Amino acid sequence: MKKTSFWIILIAAVALLAGAAALWLHFHHPDAAVANIYLDGECIRSIDLNDVTEPEIFTVEGEIGTNTIQVEPGRIRVTHAECPDQICVQMGWLTSEGGMPIVCLPNKLVISLDDVPAKIGDAEIDGVVG
Amino acid sequence: MRWSTRQLSLMALLTAIALAIHVAEAQIPAPVPIPGVKLGLANIVTVWAMFSLGPGPALMILVARILLGSLFSGVMSLMYSLAGGLLCYCVMLLLRRFLTREQIWVASVIGAVFHNIGQILVAIVVTGTPAIVSYLPILLISGIAAGLFTGVAAQYLVNRMDKTK
Amino acid sequence: MRFLKQAFALTLALALLLLSGCADPAAREDESASRSVFAMDTVMDVTAYGPNGEKAAVAAVNRITELEQAFSVTIDDSDIYAVNHAYGKPVTVSDDTAALLSEALRFCMLTHGALDVSVYPVLKAWGFTTQDYRVPKADELQELLARVDYAKVQCDGNTVTVPANMEIDLGSVAKGYTGDQIMQIFRDNGVTSGMVSLGGNVQTLGSKPDGSPWRIAIQNPLGDGYVGVVEVRDEAVVTSGGYERYFERDGEVYWHIIDPATGAPAKNGVISATIVSGSGTRCDALSTALFILGADGAETYWRTHGDFDYLLVLEDGSIVVSQGIADRFTVADDWANHNLTVVTK
Repeated sequence: MKKTSFWIILIAAVALLAGAAALWLHFHHPDAAVANIYLDGECIRSIDLNDVTEPEIFTVEGEIGTNTIQVEPGRIRVTHAECPDQICVQMGWLTSEGGMPIVCLPNKLVISLDDVPAKIGDAEIDGVVG
Repeated sequence: MRWSTRQLSLMALLTAIALAIHVAEAQIPAPVPIPGVKLGLANIVTVWAMFSLGPGPALMILVARILLGSLFSGVMSLMYSLAGGLLCYCVMLLLRRFLTREQIWVASVIGAVFHNIGQILVAIVVTGTPAIVSYLPILLISGIAAGLFTGVAAQYLVNRMDKTK
Repeated sequence: MRFLKQAFALTLALALLLLSGCADPAAREDESASRSVFAMDTVMDVTAYGPNGEKAAVAAVNRITELEQAFSVTIDDSDIYAVNHAYGKPVTVSDDTAALLSEALRFCMLTHGALDVSVYPVLKAWGFTTQDYRVPKADELQELLARVDYAKVQCDGNTVTVPANMEIDLGSVAKGYTGDQIMQIFRDNGVTSGMVSLGGNVQTLGSKPDGSPWRIAIQNPLGDGYVGVVEVRDEAVVTSGGYERYFERDGEVYWHIIDPATGAPAKNGVISATIVSGSGTRCDALSTALFILGADGAETYWRTHGDFDYLLVLEDGSIVVSQGIADRFTVADDWANHNLTVVTK
């Protein structure tokens, strides 16, 4: 039987560590801002947010429907989603300043910010010429 | 396992209560747009069952509630709920041996944390994208907060029920 | 008590049943049949979707074998072998050979000889047919070039005459024609969605079963990976690149795409030429021709004829695309910093 204070300290320690990690993730500016768009684990597109000059809107076809993705200079977001929870839409903009990935779990869509572009997955390619 | 009629009807009742709480909570819009962040009020029932009825009934109630709950919220969420729920259950089962009757809320907090860890693991497997591990810190914090809330509620429940016995 | 237990178990069982019912994948409409076959020096993959896919795929493979028999320069009972060894006498060839040769000769004419089916003796002299590579001397090339002139090849109905000292090779168009023929077989068999990959040539029928376009990646001519992805429906995509077959001598790279004007590997600034159009034969013929013509010649040809779209990768790594595919070409990220020029009419 441990004292209650032990449990409180343990929980507080975990909370502090997690808080520190969350703050670091929030304020950590990545060196580069490449938005890798993953669908079902395969990177389908990589967009360097700092290189975007023309706004662009495109849709991706996921497991249960489509997600409409909007790209503007320095930021990216999901504007429409054919999923029940709409969490990915509510997440708003992911900017080149950094931030947590946008995820749509029902559609298996993840937009994460990395330093380098991920390799475009072969699953998104039907054939190769050359 | 041989359960008395009293126990069985209690389990059925608790399953119904947990399911009702679960469904009601699902109607509330997510407080923050981060997948996996929620109160998990139905966990009050699991915690109480774990410490008052024992691990067997608690498991039955939990699994029944998750399976029935997924009829309302879709099969997609079943994997997340099962992974989170069962990991949470295992941790609470372990903690049961170390906790006094006044520390039940601790089981809820740590259970909730592992519930979120289980969900994030499933999310990584399902989406095949390890990058979403960056949600772990925020989910740990939200797990602790939600676990505290449900834990204190479960603690009150246990204290009250013990008194009325 | 028993009743309660049973009720509890029943509820659980019911829940599980309902869940498994939901989880059951819907009957798949996109069932596909695939076949791989080695022909024309390459691996060919045929994929047909839908209920008739199996039948169509089998028929396609049979057709590939049949066409290889007709077009091969090395199989000694092929049509091409026969016309190359008739020493100027007319030879009666199959319908396929006649159709393909007359189409090829048409492109030789349209490209003013940038594509020339009679360049085969030069290709042999460089060793590209045997992989016994050598660099022919200038006077040897001059002597060989005197024997290169597609205009002297006569194709009248099914009768083909090739002058005694000349040889022809349909290698630059055979795979494209094969693609066209497979699309016809798909259609004849009631297939509405299918794709064939003929060792670097890709030809598609309709859209993918989910209605989205086929995504075809263009190989990076400078290394690993892709230049980008082009989306197509009902079209063929063919790339010619110097990297496909080449050898090095004294620090110089010699590749298999021979400029009929010089008899030497075509070096007009292009390292990869991709054509997108509804006809596989046209794609195949023009990918070679535009590679030889260079960026300016390609642009001129496209403005004049325009029944296709093209993408060139130039020596300096810059990309040139014609306007028809500019919108459906996505450049790969490691190519995003390369210059991209869109050619408009």
